Amino acid sequence: MVYGLLAAAIVFGLGAFGASIGNGMIFSKTIEGISRQPELRGSLQTTAFIGVGLVEALPIISLVLAFILMGQAE
Amino acid sequence: MKGVKSSNMDHLVPIIKIFGIEFDLAAILMVVLSSIIVFVLARLAVRNLSVENPGKLQNFLEWVVEFVQSIIGMATDFKRGRVYTGLGLALIMYIFVSNMLGLPFGIVSEAHDNQIPKVFGQELIVKGEHEHLAWLWWKSPTADMAMTMALALTVIVLSHIQGVRHNRKHYLKHYFEPWPFFLPINLIETAAKPLTLGLRLYGNIYAGEVMIGIILGMGWVGIPALMVWQGFSIFVGAIQAFVFTMLTMVYIGQASIHDEH
Repeated sequence: MVYGLLAAAIVFGLGAFGASIGNGMIFSKTIEGISRQPELRGSLQTTAFIGVGLVEALPIISLVLAFILMGQAE
Repeated sequence: MKGVKSSNMDHLVPIIKIFGIEFDLAAILMVVLSSIIVFVLARLAVRNLSVENPGKLQNFLEWVVEFVQSIIGMATDFKRGRVYTGLGLALIMYIFVSNMLGLPFGIVSEAHDNQIPKVFGQELIVKGEHEHLAWLWWKSPTADMAMTMALALTVIVLSHIQGVRHNRKHYLKHYFEPWPFFLPINLIETAAKPLTLGLRLYGNIYAGEVMIGIILGMGWVGIPALMVWQGFSIFVGAIQAFVFTMLTMVYIGQASIHDEH
């Protein structure tokens, strides 16, 4: 059985799910904020990218784990 | 993995052992190289400084300094935080240059007849089984976990030291805020800060490099994919440098700058 490949797929699949939901929430609120106050566009964009950098930390770590697990597949 | 031609994951890391400690030669070389690049860039920018007639490089560096100061202003109180401008400038330039270094190309050396070469009289260590020995000498310095964790630990230890020096009462009290039984949670937060700071940078850059290796394994078909991925990696590298610097300033500000009491 290829437990390593299966584990890698599950790890990164769930991580990707979390990353997409998190980024989607961040940007939907950002777009809403920009539509309410267009003059704050630069500041809101910057904060959104900071948020993306933070939210994507754990899914990226799960990607690295997936690579390690793939290397251990039999 | 069999069947993936010249995938990045099949390249060995050139490690030598001196006095029982393992040194990663590729990482050492790349760290020195990116330090030299940042140093030369900074020194060239401050030659012939002029107020009325700044050169292009001086203008660029002034923009970077103002950007770092805006980050400090976003993160904490600017009047007391502006002493950290030098730290922020060094961090953002160094991390950005390091993230970009691994993108253009990679330098691989292969062994004839699977003979293990010697560097400084020490054999390179080969871990595991490989059919074809190849070592990767050029990669991003930040694609190495030791390097990013060193940066993160340096910065977090600095924040603790500054907290104890400048803000002792409030720094010790904040472990028990808002309620005393929050102490384990605050301790976990203290342990998680350097971990996530270092692993975030490492994971982003290392995953980007592995993807480049996989796309290269696809041959001619992968050329448009490679272009798109390189562009995205430049974007990710810039964002990660920015996020690292911003979080550094936030942690230092949280620990040492509290004057509303």
